[in-house]
Formats: sequence, C-alpha cells, structure tokens
Amino acid sequence: MENQKSFQTNKVLVIGGGVGGIRATLDMAESGRDVVLIDKAHSIGGLMTQLDRTFPTNNCDLCTLSPNLSASGREHRIELMTMTSLTKIEGEAGNFEVTLVTKPRYIDTDKCTACGQCHAKFPECVNFTPGLDHRAPTCMRYPQATPNAFSIDPDKCQDMEAVASVCKDGAVLLDDAVREQKIRVGAVIVAAGAEIFDPAHLDNFGQGAYPDVVTSLEYERILSASGPTNGVLVRPSDKKQPKRIAWIQCVGSRGIQKKAVSYCSNVCCMFAMKEAIVTRERFGDDIETIIFYMDIRAFGKDYEGYFQRAKDEYGVRFVRSRPHSVIPDESTGALVIKYCPEDGTANEEENFDMVVLSTGFRIGKDLRSLAEILDIDLNLHGYAATANLDSIATSRPGIFVCGMFESPKDIPETMVQGSAAASCAMQFAGPLSDADSVADTDLEDENGTWEFAVEDEFPPEINVEGKEAKIGVFICDCGFNIGGILDADALADYSKTLDNVAFSEMIGHGCSSESMQKIQSAIKSENLNRIVIGGCSPRTHETKFQDTIRKAGLNKYLVEMANIRDQNTWVHMDQPEKAMEKARELIRMSVSRVKYSHPLVEYTLPMNRDVLVVGGGVAGMTAALTLADQGFRIFVAERSGQLGGLAAGIKKTIEGEDVSTFITGLIDRVKNHSRIQVMAPCIIVDHEGMPGMFTTGVQTGPQMYYRQISHGITILATGALHNRPDEYLLGKHPAVTTQLEIDTKINDDPDSIKKWDTVAMIQCVGSRTADNPNCSRVCCQAAVKNALSLLDINPELRIFVLYRDIRTYGFQEDYYQEARNRGVVFIRYEDSAKPVVEEDGEGVNIKFCDPVLGRDVILSADCLCLSTGFIADDESTEDLAMIFKLPRTDDGYFLEDHIKLRPVDLPVPGFFVAGTAHAPKNIRESIAQAKAAAGRARTLLARDEINLGAAVARVDGKKCASCLICVRACPYNVPFINADGYSEIDPAKCHGCGICAGECPAKAIQLMQYEDDQIIARLDGLFERMN
Amino acid sequence: MDKFEPVIVAFCCHYCAYTAADMAGSKRIPYPPNVKIVRVPCSGKVDAIHIMKALEKGADGVYVAGCLEGDCHFKKGNLNAAHRVEYVKKLLDETGIGGDRVEMVMMSAGMGEVFAQTATTITEKIRKLGPNPAKFPSNRKAASNE
Repeated sequence: MENQKSFQTNKVLVIGGGVGGIRATLDMAESGRDVVLIDKAHSIGGLMTQLDRTFPTNNCDLCTLSPNLSASGREHRIELMTMTSLTKIEGEAGNFEVTLVTKPRYIDTDKCTACGQCHAKFPECVNFTPGLDHRAPTCMRYPQATPNAFSIDPDKCQDMEAVASVCKDGAVLLDDAVREQKIRVGAVIVAAGAEIFDPAHLDNFGQGAYPDVVTSLEYERILSASGPTNGVLVRPSDKKQPKRIAWIQCVGSRGIQKKAVSYCSNVCCMFAMKEAIVTRERFGDDIETIIFYMDIRAFGKDYEGYFQRAKDEYGVRFVRSRPHSVIPDESTGALVIKYCPEDGTANEEENFDMVVLSTGFRIGKDLRSLAEILDIDLNLHGYAATANLDSIATSRPGIFVCGMFESPKDIPETMVQGSAAASCAMQFAGPLSDADSVADTDLEDENGTWEFAVEDEFPPEINVEGKEAKIGVFICDCGFNIGGILDADALADYSKTLDNVAFSEMIGHGCSSESMQKIQSAIKSENLNRIVIGGCSPRTHETKFQDTIRKAGLNKYLVEMANIRDQNTWVHMDQPEKAMEKARELIRMSVSRVKYSHPLVEYTLPMNRDVLVVGGGVAGMTAALTLADQGFRIFVAERSGQLGGLAAGIKKTIEGEDVSTFITGLIDRVKNHSRIQVMAPCIIVDHEGMPGMFTTGVQTGPQMYYRQISHGITILATGALHNRPDEYLLGKHPAVTTQLEIDTKINDDPDSIKKWDTVAMIQCVGSRTADNPNCSRVCCQAAVKNALSLLDINPELRIFVLYRDIRTYGFQEDYYQEARNRGVVFIRYEDSAKPVVEEDGEGVNIKFCDPVLGRDVILSADCLCLSTGFIADDESTEDLAMIFKLPRTDDGYFLEDHIKLRPVDLPVPGFFVAGTAHAPKNIRESIAQAKAAAGRARTLLARDEINLGAAVARVDGKKCASCLICVRACPYNVPFINADGYSEIDPAKCHGCGICAGECPAKAIQLMQYEDDQIIARLDGLFERMN
Repeated sequence: MDKFEPVIVAFCCHYCAYTAADMAGSKRIPYPPNVKIVRVPCSGKVDAIHIMKALEKGADGVYVAGCLEGDCHFKKGNLNAAHRVEYVKKLLDETGIGGDRVEMVMMSAGMGEVFAQTATTITEKIRKLGPNPAKFPSNRKAASNE
C-alpha cells in the first residue's frame, strides 16, 4: 500500500517525448509525481506530429495533440529536457541515479519567441519533412512545436554570429555547451519509439533513385497542410498532380526482401488505406489509388469498416500481390510496377505517376545502445523484451516500456501502454507520506534535502463584485514581432484613452518573468481589477496570464487577451498602418468585453476515493489489484457467480504462457485482498452522481438484495462473449468445433488428436460479417497457436486453414511463418464464396474454391475447427450503457472518449474502460489496458477534490419555458427538466461548448466566460468609434 | 467619399478556426485586416442574435467558422451553427438586407491557408456588395441627410 511504503523519491524519468511518453508524463504529473521528460530531438511530439490525418476517423489530430504537448511544457511537475539523452543509470528500482547529457541548442528557449526571423534569413530551415528537405542551420520541427523555439545545428551553420545578429530577442547563445547532470529517480519509463525502415537501399523499388517513389511518411508530409507543399498534392519530380498512385505494402516487413524483418509492422495497412482514402476524398476520380498487399490487417476497433469503406465508398482498388519491382519507363516517365496476380502466373504490368512504399518499423543502433545503457534485455527483433502477459515491465525491475519500443503499434495502443507504464512506475516513486495527501506533501530534492512541495500558494481573491472596472492594459512588443510592425508604446498610450482603463503600459515580452512581476505589482499599486493583455494568442498563453493575475489576488477569469500578434502583425506585415488600426480595434474589443467579466468559481467536489470495477475477468481483476495495491478500496461487481471471465476457458497463450495458472493466481489474490470486496453474482440496477461521488445501486448476494455503493470512479471491464454462430454445422455435428474447444482438447485429450489425419480450420466465422462487422483480432493467432500445438501432438497431421486475411500482427507473424514452415496449408476464400460444409460419417467434407486452381476442391477432415471470435455482450452493455449513460459503438462495444488519444477514458468523466468490453483483444492487451485504466483512474484519485472548470452553462429558471430544446441540442445529454419544471444543467457534466446557450429560444441559458453581454460588448468595442 | 472598406466579423471556434487563424499567423499568410475575429468555444455557441447584432452595430459581413464536418470537438456544434447561419440568411433575404452578407465556413486547425483564403474571398465579396444597408446609425444618418 502506498501509504505504508516509504518512497525514496517522487521523481520518474521518461525517455522519449512521443505520444506514449507524453501520456505517461501527464498521467504521473496529474497523480502528483515529478517527472523529467527527456527527448533527444529538438522538440517533443515524436512521430505523430508528422501525420496529416489519423485513421479511422481521418481527423487532423494535431489540434487534439498540440494542447497535450503544450500541457506537458506547462505543468509545473514536469521538467522537459529536449536534446537530452541518458548516458548512465545506477542503483535499483525505487532509487536510481541517472546521468543526463543535454546537447547545446544555441537558443535560449525562454527568450526565443519562435518569430522565425532566423528562419526567414536562413530559408528552408524547418526540418520536419524526412527525405524531402535538407537540414538547415536553425530548425524547428513543425509549426506548433513544444518548446516553441528554434535550434541551431552548429555543423551546418557557417556564421553563428550572423544568425545571432538576426535575432532581435538575443535568444541565440553563441557559447552554449554540453551540460551533464545527475538526478535521482524511482523508476524509468522508456518510450523511445522505433525507427522507420529506410528503403533507400532496396534497388528493386528505387526509393531514393526515383523521385516519385516515396515512403508512406513522406506521402503523409506531402498531404499535410503543414508539410513542404502546404498540403498541395504534387509529385516531387515535376510538381504535377499525379493521376495514378500505387501503395506497396510490407516494404521491409514480413520479410523476404534484403534487410527486411520477419515481423509485421502492425500499422502500415491502416496507414496506406488512410492515405488512399484521404487522397480520394480530396481528389475523387482525378486520382486513382491502388494498394498492393498480402493481407489487409485491419484488426483494430472499427478498422474493418474502414477497410470496407475504402473499397466500396472511396473506390480504392486492392490488389493482392507483392510486386517485385518498380521500374521507370524512360520514354514516358511513368513508374512501371510488375506483379503477379493471385489467380495465375501471368505477369501484369501497370503504370503509375507515384509509388508509395509502406515502410514499417525497426530498432536501430541508437535504441540498442539505449537498451545497453539501461541494461534491459531485447527480444530477437531488437525490441524491449517483456513478459508474455505483461507488456509493460522490462527485464530490469523499475524500468518500464511503452509504445513502439515494445512492439510496433498504433496510437491508441501506445496511449494505453503509456498510461499503464505510468501506473506501474508510480509503484516505485511517490510522495513520502500517504496517498491521501498526494498533492501537498513534502518532497525530497536531488540533494537529499527536504523541501516544501512546489504547489503554488495563492493569496485570497480580491472582491471585485460591484466595483467599477479599473482596467489595466499591458501591451507586448514581443521583440520585433509586434514592435517591429506597429508602435507598441503608442498603442499603450491609446489604450489609456479608453473608458475604464486606469493604467496602461508597454511591457516588452509580456510572458517573461520580469514582465509578469510588473503586471502583478501594477495590479497591486493601481488597484486594478480587470486586465487586458495585448499580445499573442490566448490559445498558448492565456493560462500563463491567468496564473499571473491570480497570484496578484485577482480571479483568473478577469484577464482577457487581445491577439495582436498571430492574428494581426504577423498577417498584416505589409500594411503597418492597417495593422495599427486593427490592433486598436482588437484592444477596444477586449477592453469593452473585460468590463463585463466577473469572477468565476471553478466547480469542485470532494473526492470519494473508492472504486467500483464492473466485471471480474482478467481486465477487471488486474485493474482492481493495481489500485488496491496502491491503497484504494475496490468493489468488484461480477454478474456471474465466478471470477475469471472469458480467459478462464483458455489454456495457453501463443507464446506458451499457462493462462489457467495465471487466472487462478489472480482470483486468489483478488479474493484475499483486504481492500477488495467481491460482489458475485451482482447486477447493476441504478446509478447517479458525478465523478468523485457516484452512487450505484446493485443487487447481490444469494438473495440478490439491493444495496448502494458509494464510489468516486467506475471502471468497466465487462468483457465480450465468445461468438457461436449457427454456421458450418457447429453444434450439429461432433466433428465441428471451435478454437476455444480445440484448445481444451489439446490439453485434456491429446490421444484422440493422434488418431486424426486431417484438420480443417475456417477463419472469420461470425466475424467480418454483416451481423458482426469487425475483426475479432485474436482468431488468426488462435488458429496458428492451435495448429502448432496439434502438430506437436501429431506431426503427421495435415492442417488446412481457410482464411480471408491472415492477421498475425506484430511478432505473431513469426508463429504464422513457423506454421507455414511446418506444413500447415493456408488457403484463401472470398467472402462471396464461403466454404460449404457437409456431413460425412464421423468427419465432414468441406467444399471451397481454391484461388490458385480457380476451381472447387473437396476436403475431407476428421475435425473442422471454426475461428468464431468475439461478439459484444450486447445485452449487458446495452443495460449498462443505459444505466451509466455511456455511448456504444454500432456493434455494442463501449465507445471511448477519443478513439486515438483517450482509448481508456469513457466520455462520461470518472468512467474508464478495459479489456474486451472496449473491443476484441488478447489477454496481454487486456492486462495492459486494465493497468492503463488503473493509471488513468489514479490521476483523479490523487485529488482531494475534482475541479470541473468554470466554463459551464447556467440556466435562469425564471426565463426557462421547459421547451426541451437544450435537452435535445446538448451533444452530451446533460440538461434535464428538474422537479421545479425548468431545465437544469449539471456543472459536473457540462463540457462548456455553449450549444444549448446558442439554441435556447428564451435566452435562459448563459455559458460562463462567453455570456451574451460579453460577446456583444466585444462588438460594441469594435464599432465604438465607427458609429 | 473614402473607398469603401468593409468591416467583417468572424466568429471562430476555439478548436479549429481560431487555431487555423493563428496558424495563418505562424506561416505569415496575409489576409485582409478587415476581418475581426471573435473567439467562441464552439461555432454552435454563435447565436442568431450575435450575427444580427454585429450587422446592426456596423458589420458589413459576418461569418461563422467552425471545424470540418465530423471533426467538431463537441461532436456536432458546427452543424448547429451551419443550420443557424442558413436561418439568418433567410431572415436577411426576407428583410432585404441580403443573406449574402452572412456565411458559414468550415476548416481544420491546420488549415492556415484556408483561413486566409476564406477571409480574402469573403472580404472581396462583401466589398462588391457594398455597405450594409442596415448599419446603425450611420445609415440612418445617411438617410436623414438625403
């Protein structure tokens, strides 16, 4: 238990600032840990920042990611160190000493305003287009980089002083040097990612030699609005829009090529489909898109539907073939792809304008040497070795891994592992007293001395209610950025002439600590009660200024930012007079609005730290144990009388791990844990409350008595069901069985298997169908696992696997290879021509069309084993979705808050999901998600109270006509008509969009911070002098 | 008389359009200074009243800029906004002010170019349409002077 364990430090080191590392960092910081996040690159963000859009929603997720990135730069518990690597680690879990070396950036990140002057003078300096541009002297990786500052490459820079002279802010540090420091941490999370395979040395595809052969990431950059072509799709050679584009899958993965790897890189199928769909979306029939593939591996949540849409709606053509080469036609400039189609031996040829190589991932030298420094084991592919059922812990205690360095994976899985790693690392680092006062305990710093925690102390708020507005206006010149275009002093003078402005000053860089102090002292000396900052964007700096004025005793909602840089001087540079005029208008708008601003209270609630886990399978039990071990009280509600869930029927994993023993162990620990109360059988009856204070009614015990549970967090781990469709004589003929049953037979009755000659397996039974459109994810590996086990028992056995696509993603590909090598025959069938099964005495006959022969074949088998996969537990998820007001996918799984970035959080605050209730997944993945759910829950449990923010909608009951329009308009179903007959909006549930306020015909609803009078006041300010 | 410079109010949602406007700034893509941005959490927050008040107080054109369809941070606020803009357009057509002065546009946060392009196109369109006849009170003054 956390409050019994004495931690030696509260600090954790995270290596790698991609999405996984950022997720882990934010989770730990929110849970009260101090985190040092290091990245060897110039800015954090990793691979995802280079993507234009992400599957399967085709959203541009940069806007969802960037706030995360800047959040990680902002949070005071986080120390962000870019251009930094680990060189040494000593000690043991709970007490490591790590040596970090930071390379010189030659730029003072505190002074650099990212104005781009150095960039303008040294063009092409933005380095974010792999293979499409060259490194220039100063470099910022992408426009929204965190830290938002450039860096200089001394090797490329001829004259550093020339660069320094361009910088108006004096941010260039000529004598920056390598810095080394030692810090003490309790645990390390390795989120170092993987490298992208460089196909340049594959002479058969000509990447590097032919300009129009690009990698999938390069194509992504070409599509991206922030890419080298500003989102205009042109091919590199002649800058013309291509007409035909081909994608070649598995370049460097699933390997037969030179320097290829044997495993599957997991994301390339989806990646290529996304690029093809986005291309078709934007250009329609102007561009033909063809994907050459071996198996389409769309095994993730709702990915199969994406594949079907790519084919049916977007007209992406899929050709099942692995092309041999790409050869340019000298006369036409076209790229010729030769390939052998599936049905014959004829060599086909097609011409393309562009070829995209879907390159996968691998572990390079840098990562191997990092592993050496960390002294952790690698698997045979060079990825961090982890246990069969625990994908987070490395071979060295206290060092955890997440993301691509564990195995190739997509963003949601990386996020899951990030949260899970955070959850695990926190067992080795924490505040030195109990869990109940995580936020305000003493900490020990690196030198071993004791210090008070870094919580900011705020003075009491000054009462401004009823007082006339005394506005202070502070104008930033932001160096040359604003001051170079307009006269910032004159703007400050002008501001003084406006109504209610009591004080106005030009403060240079408003965001520097010096200026912040100036603002604070002016608030005090001039008794200011409203503040306007004329400077950059509130998107990036509002929280900073809110903090500043709060420290001076003003409510943080009394500041307003006029964006006179990003939306004025930066875009009207060539019309300085107009820019000045617009700046005056923007300041007037803000001054006029800020008069109407009033102190807002951020809603808070006391936190109940008990947790309800619904579902007692592997995921539910793992989540319960993780949190119980950290000192929290857990209720586990299991519908059936027994713990164990879906996995109870499985004997061994594909890696040979004994599942039954593992589950028995879990059940024992859960039953005997002093802080876990198991309720089984138990059904959920009703539910109310808000995060931090839920009340859930259950019926439990032998008599199914009703009782109420009070809890702060709910984790849903209700699982899915084994599918058992009425197909292929299942349940009608003894020779027809399922993968699950054969798994049991392998263990319990190997002798009968020795008598068999032939076993047939049919994949995708009841999955990827109209009724159950998604891929069940686990059946391909189950088939391969069982085929290998059957051969172990009976090496003479002939095994035929009838499949649509083999989806042995990641390292499972090795087992698929092994099965093929050991003689298992894999034969494809089309969904339109399913095999037909007929009874034949004790065995069955299976009739199917062989795609190579092009004719029907009849196979007699002693046993037909159906890969039936999962189906959502529709009945239970429907009930629970209604009781808890949670959304579900079309096929009955719980729908997470954000499919890419928040795969564990449910859209209702305080709810988390783990295991197959979220989507089909294997045990190892369920365990990771359960730990992630525990970690995400931990971020809320660390708080004494829940802050619900202030931007919430409020209803004026006197004006409300209970017309129900808000009830229907709210995207989150928050408003309801209360007992007094008017609409009520629970601030704990309100997301603050203001849609209800916009729709309300009686104007009875106001969104705090954006009240109608404030919006109209802005317009008044704008038109004041014009009228 | 001075050359007519329209004043245009752009209600921009925080998550996409306002960010796109900042992005235009980061990329230094110029657009006419006639466009003044009012930030709202979601385009769905923009009420008919806000649009009408802007026109009444002196705007020659108003547009609401939200996320791309399907990308709304609040699921569907941009669709509510589009619906409302349609309604206001009809209203303006009926009153003779002309629905052309009001537009709904959609863009993602990364579309700095699109933001600048849209601002330019709309400014030029309003410039052609001429001053807003409902402008208060300059228009009344003009009317009484006649």
